[in-house]
Amino acid sequence: MFGRALSSVLLILTLGPFLRAGDIEGTIVIQRKLTKRKVTSSTDPYQRGPAVELGSDQEQDPLAFERSHVVIYLEGNFPSDGMTTAELNQQNRRFSPDLVVVPAGSTVSFPNLDPIFHNVFSLSKAKSFDLGNYPKDHTRIVKFSKAGIVFVDCHLHPNMSAVIVVTPNRWSTKADESGHFMLPDVRPGTYTVVAWHKSAGFFRKTVRVTNTGTDPVEFTIPLSEDGAVQQARK
Amino acid sequence: MKMRFATRAFLWSFIPFALLLAGSFWAIQQRVQNTVRSGLRSSLREAHMSMAHLRQESELQNNRFLRIVAENPSLKAGLQLLLINPKSGAARLTLEDQLREIAETLRFDFMLVSNSDGAPLAGVVRIDNQLVAMDIKRMKPPQQGFFTLGESTYQVNSFPIDINDENIGDLSIGEHFDLSEFSTPAILAKNGEILRSSVPTASRAELESALRNCGDEAECETRVAGETYLTLAADTINFGNGYTLRSLQSLDSVNGPVQSVLRQAFLIASLGALFAAAALSFFSSRSIVQPIAAVVSSLRQSEETGTLPSFQGNPSSIHEIRELIESFARAAAAVRESRENLQQAYVEFVGSLAGALDARDDYTAGHSRRVSEYSCVIAETLNIAGTDLEVIRVGALLHDIGKIGVLDSVLRKPSKLTSDEMALVQQHPSIGRRILEGVRGFQAYLPIVELHHENWDGTGYPLRLSDTKVPLCARIVHVADAYDAMTSARPYRLALGHDTAMRELKRFAGIQFDPEVVRALVNADQSGKLLRNTRDAGPSLRLVSVPRATGEAS
Repeated sequence: MFGRALSSVLLILTLGPFLRAGDIEGTIVIQRKLTKRKVTSSTDPYQRGPAVELGSDQEQDPLAFERSHVVIYLEGNFPSDGMTTAELNQQNRRFSPDLVVVPAGSTVSFPNLDPIFHNVFSLSKAKSFDLGNYPKDHTRIVKFSKAGIVFVDCHLHPNMSAVIVVTPNRWSTKADESGHFMLPDVRPGTYTVVAWHKSAGFFRKTVRVTNTGTDPVEFTIPLSEDGAVQQARK
Repeated sequence: MKMRFATRAFLWSFIPFALLLAGSFWAIQQRVQNTVRSGLRSSLREAHMSMAHLRQESELQNNRFLRIVAENPSLKAGLQLLLINPKSGAARLTLEDQLREIAETLRFDFMLVSNSDGAPLAGVVRIDNQLVAMDIKRMKPPQQGFFTLGESTYQVNSFPIDINDENIGDLSIGEHFDLSEFSTPAILAKNGEILRSSVPTASRAELESALRNCGDEAECETRVAGETYLTLAADTINFGNGYTLRSLQSLDSVNGPVQSVLRQAFLIASLGALFAAAALSFFSSRSIVQPIAAVVSSLRQSEETGTLPSFQGNPSSIHEIRELIESFARAAAAVRESRENLQQAYVEFVGSLAGALDARDDYTAGHSRRVSEYSCVIAETLNIAGTDLEVIRVGALLHDIGKIGVLDSVLRKPSKLTSDEMALVQQHPSIGRRILEGVRGFQAYLPIVELHHENWDGTGYPLRLSDTKVPLCARIVHVADAYDAMTSARPYRLALGHDTAMRELKRFAGIQFDPEVVRALVNADQSGKLLRNTRDAGPSLRLVSVPRATGEAS
């Protein structure tokens, strides 16, 4: 949340004069659930009841959850000064948020807010690290200098999982729950817009940005059932 | 005790029979019951064994699966963390949290991690469906076996946690121990105290006292709440700490239906057999008693009629009975014969007495014998035969026996008797009666002796009876006596001729004599019987004797 808000502010500051001309807008269309999730009621995180299937959880539209977990960014190493910092908390035996988007060169801190130990690590190609066991109110900071998908796990809690998407430039965002996204202040030219979903994988579309305006981009996810998921882990 | 022979024979054959039958049925039933019982017991045991085997197998399977849980890398990491930071509450909390996570996912009720020395480090236990951390300082849960916490009992198994072939601790996993998974009722006890019981009919105290009798025996039969139970120890699972698990099966509930069927069958069979025995005994006793009863009844009949029984034509197929009848018949014949002899002797004695009496006087010599012969002729003409004829014959012989008490001077007086003398003579029937009264077997002759001087019109002596009030035998002898008196000479008159006598008799028929009897005499005379018979009777018959003056018949 914080990262996204910050990047938006930065975007507005740096690219303000061209805002109207080079915005890439689009929608993500997801017709069916991609992720099977379990939700546990968390009245007291250490005395929880039995697990409950997501289907019975009426509070959140499952497709809205899927749409809000799609990352959109522009392919290509454009010079940019979009380095930011982000936080990935460990709270209630979960990573919060479970999806972080940062441009390459950013740092992410991993504060432990739980009364128990966590051991955050990643074996991803883009960045592998092991932060060791550390208790409540301790934190570790990792710098991500290479673009790619970084899967973050906890040694002690195999259920904990988060994704850090390190994008090649600062034009990156997450779709909102309705699937709408916007990449503002893009210089005119031809770009490849990438949409990524943890389960569905990468989706690419070419977009021509002109001074007069840009056609909206629509991604329909998934295109195929197989392949995409395997591709995601590469 | 007086008892009918039939009853006695029946009881003697039936009671031993019944006892024998009842005893053997009882013995057979016991034997069958025992066989059924032991069969059931062995089938129960087999079921128990196979259950135990299955259980052991599933235990093994389960253990294999639980071993995988001990290989959980996160858990190992958590344990390592705690081993490195033994004082850290957060590290213990981390491990407890991990255990809770696993227990929740896999539905365990008890999880405990201990170090390689067996000291517990962290654990969770499900109480009221909530997994709570164990106070490991106070609890001493076992590595293996049963563990009781409050109302709950857990069955615990332990598995080593190894890293790089080095044991760093043990993971104990437990589940609520529930007897309902046993197909048979079972109990879980600790040091003789029942912790869990799924025996529905008995209280724990009853079970405890019943199982105390069993001691350490693996297989034991005991009585609980009035029922017989077979209890088998589940010794295939290692429990330790004084815990014992036993299955209990009510033999009675299994045995009951079979036994009731058996009992019913045996009851019907034994009742049938007893009935048959009773019927057989009845018929056999009857077949023994019946010929005897026939003998007895004919004896009783003879007792009533006074005649000796004769068993000619009494067939009996039974040798002994036939022999009895024959020997009895022989004895009876002998008795009859001797009695007849005796009677004969009496009669002869009396006859000769009468003869001797007659011989006191020449005029009356042979009188009694002749009167007897004439009487018999008249009686035969009147169709009298058999015993009655014999009574008349003997009675006529004796009719003047009373004259023994009349003085010779009176009897032999040639002249007419005075009225006193006549009165003396007229006493002779009463005297005769008195003489013969005392002799047994002479009762039949008394009427003849007493009443042979009664007249038809009631003018006779001693009782002055008339017509048929005088017995026929006496009336016959009266006529015969008159005839002989008239045809014999008397000191005071000559003998009358036959025709005169007959005429006289006819004249007085209906006055002095019974006309029927006189007619019979006339008929006998006309048919020649009278003369022939009397002539045949012997030389002493004298129709015409010494002529004397006529007088009254004596």
